[in-house]
Amino acid sequence: MNLAESLRLAVRSIRGHKLRAALTALGIVIGIAAVITFVTLGASVKAEVVGQFDDSPANRVFLVASPDDDGGPPAALSQPVFTEYDVGRIEDIEGVDRVVPRGTIATSALSHGGETVARDQVTATTPALFESVTFRAGGPFADAESGDACPAEMVVTPSAAALFPGNLSVGDRVSVTQRGNRTRNVTVVGILDGDAGLNPLAGFGSQPRFYLPSCAYDTVVTSPTTGTRQNVYPQVTVVAENPGDTAAVQDRVQDYLDAESDAAQLAPESYAVSAQTNDDIVQRIETVVDRLTQFVTGIAVISLLVGAIGIANIMLVSVRERTKEIGIMKAVGATNRDVLQLFLVEALLLGVGGALLGVPVGVAGGWIAVTYAELPLTLPLGWVGAAIGIGLLVGVVSGLYPAWSAARVDPIDALRYE
Amino acid sequence: MTGDVASGEPPAVELDAVSRTYTRGEPVYALDDVSVTLARGSYTAVMGPSGSGKSTLLNLVGCLDTPTAGTVSVAGEDVTALSSRQRARVRGEEVGFVFQTFNLMPRLTAEENVALPLVFQGVARAERLGRARDLLDRVGLGDRTDHRPSELSGGQRQRVAIARALVTDPAIVLADEPTGNVDTETGDRIMALLDDLHAAGNTILLVTHQRAIADRAERIVRLRDGEIEGIDAVDTGGAAR
Repeated sequence: MNLAESLRLAVRSIRGHKLRAALTALGIVIGIAAVITFVTLGASVKAEVVGQFDDSPANRVFLVASPDDDGGPPAALSQPVFTEYDVGRIEDIEGVDRVVPRGTIATSALSHGGETVARDQVTATTPALFESVTFRAGGPFADAESGDACPAEMVVTPSAAALFPGNLSVGDRVSVTQRGNRTRNVTVVGILDGDAGLNPLAGFGSQPRFYLPSCAYDTVVTSPTTGTRQNVYPQVTVVAENPGDTAAVQDRVQDYLDAESDAAQLAPESYAVSAQTNDDIVQRIETVVDRLTQFVTGIAVISLLVGAIGIANIMLVSVRERTKEIGIMKAVGATNRDVLQLFLVEALLLGVGGALLGVPVGVAGGWIAVTYAELPLTLPLGWVGAAIGIGLLVGVVSGLYPAWSAARVDPIDALRYE
Repeated sequence: MTGDVASGEPPAVELDAVSRTYTRGEPVYALDDVSVTLARGSYTAVMGPSGSGKSTLLNLVGCLDTPTAGTVSVAGEDVTALSSRQRARVRGEEVGFVFQTFNLMPRLTAEENVALPLVFQGVARAERLGRARDLLDRVGLGDRTDHRPSELSGGQRQRVAIARALVTDPAIVLADEPTGNVDTETGDRIMALLDDLHAAGNTILLVTHQRAIADRAERIVRLRDGEIEGIDAVDTGGAAR
């Protein structure tokens, strides 16, 4: 019997039990849809995060102190270990253009013109951060010379400005309530044009962010080298003079960190102080996102497995019900192989049909999840193709035993079967 | 296919010292040393009470079962030594079954049921449906080709089954109590159809427990307890060969 005839007969028997076939295929639809939804979400998160780094110039080296096991989340958990002494020393390293330290100031709220917005942190940094970005309005805050009064100035991202009704604009006065209810009154001097690539270590770029001068920073420590009280930062960005020298600068900075930095002495046990390039960080983030995606997808695969069991179950019932038909077919010349093929094709149709329906449902699910998370949609096309293959595989695997038992039916018994 | 037997041509079916033993707890002799030859174009009835081995004989000739001892030849081919795949081929090409309970595929139309044996022989769809329609015409169901078994009467179903048994132009038609599930009048019509087939040169082996039905054949093989009790020639009915 050729495949077209098996297909015709299989379609006929599926049509004979439309509801049953639909419910059976539904198991596969849900399984495939769940897998595609989660893989799409994972791919979209990865594309978004990695895209952020791609926007970041290639001449950056990021210094972080993070737990000394590979693949941990970078930077987000970075410890404040880089002192002002370290920042100064690194600025003197050959090939370094500038060094931008960054830390967070714990706050409870920001208010402007009677409107109060709850924020748990603002960012403290130096004007060097803004050298490579454009401003929508105004400009960077002044550099704080030691001994001078700290400039009461602030730079904000567009999304931060939008937190206040009627948006913040240059010249607006904002009071920042810091931890311990200390209030700092500052003037908005600049609104960025967005901060993509500016802050790759701190999460998604579209987050609202407020920048204060480093002199407002309040995390201090006694430098082990100089013995004086100094600001200590969790994140430092080193900008190389020449993008081609980034790797060499990375090595030299790492050598300094390992040999004589305050950071190495301040870092807690089991923490590593490291200089990483974009590529290093992208790799680590990809590892983390991949692992998360695999985990969630693994759960979705369980539902696919349940769907496969559903097909196997219904096919076994079907073999039972059609024992007599199997006997008739054998009496008129069907070989065991013909019968096996017939039932296998039927299981395969259920699997592939389920997969074909599951793909659009999964893509829709992925789109909804991605839209909800405000990420651009990235479709993992390979997986969409794989879903069809998985449907085939599920059909074959779950149909194999029922089809085999159908082929083994004894025609004499089967013809007597009522 | 003609009624006369050329001397060189093998008989349609030949059973030589065939025994079939089932072991269910203790051995049961369903058939014990049975030898019988069915010439081409002959019409033979097998009679006997239930448990006499009629169905076993039919299953052996139809390649659904294999003998414990002895040989069964269909169209000159010893089918006892064949693989299950080869026996499936013999069932499809050399044997046509007509069952008491019709045994039609419920989801297929009359013409698809008739054409089913050709599906397993790889005959193209258009050709096999054409042949099926011809045969349905022959059994008087030319206007029922698109009906499903559930839309047909018992007599019509049996005529579809007879058309199916003929579609491969088999060496022998095996009819197992073909009138067992229909009323007397319909049964008469089915028997008349079998008479027509015999007149047209088909070889028929009929199993029944009714003397009146068996009398329509040329010969009656009487079975009892798995052994041949006697073989009677029938004077009336079919012409002696």
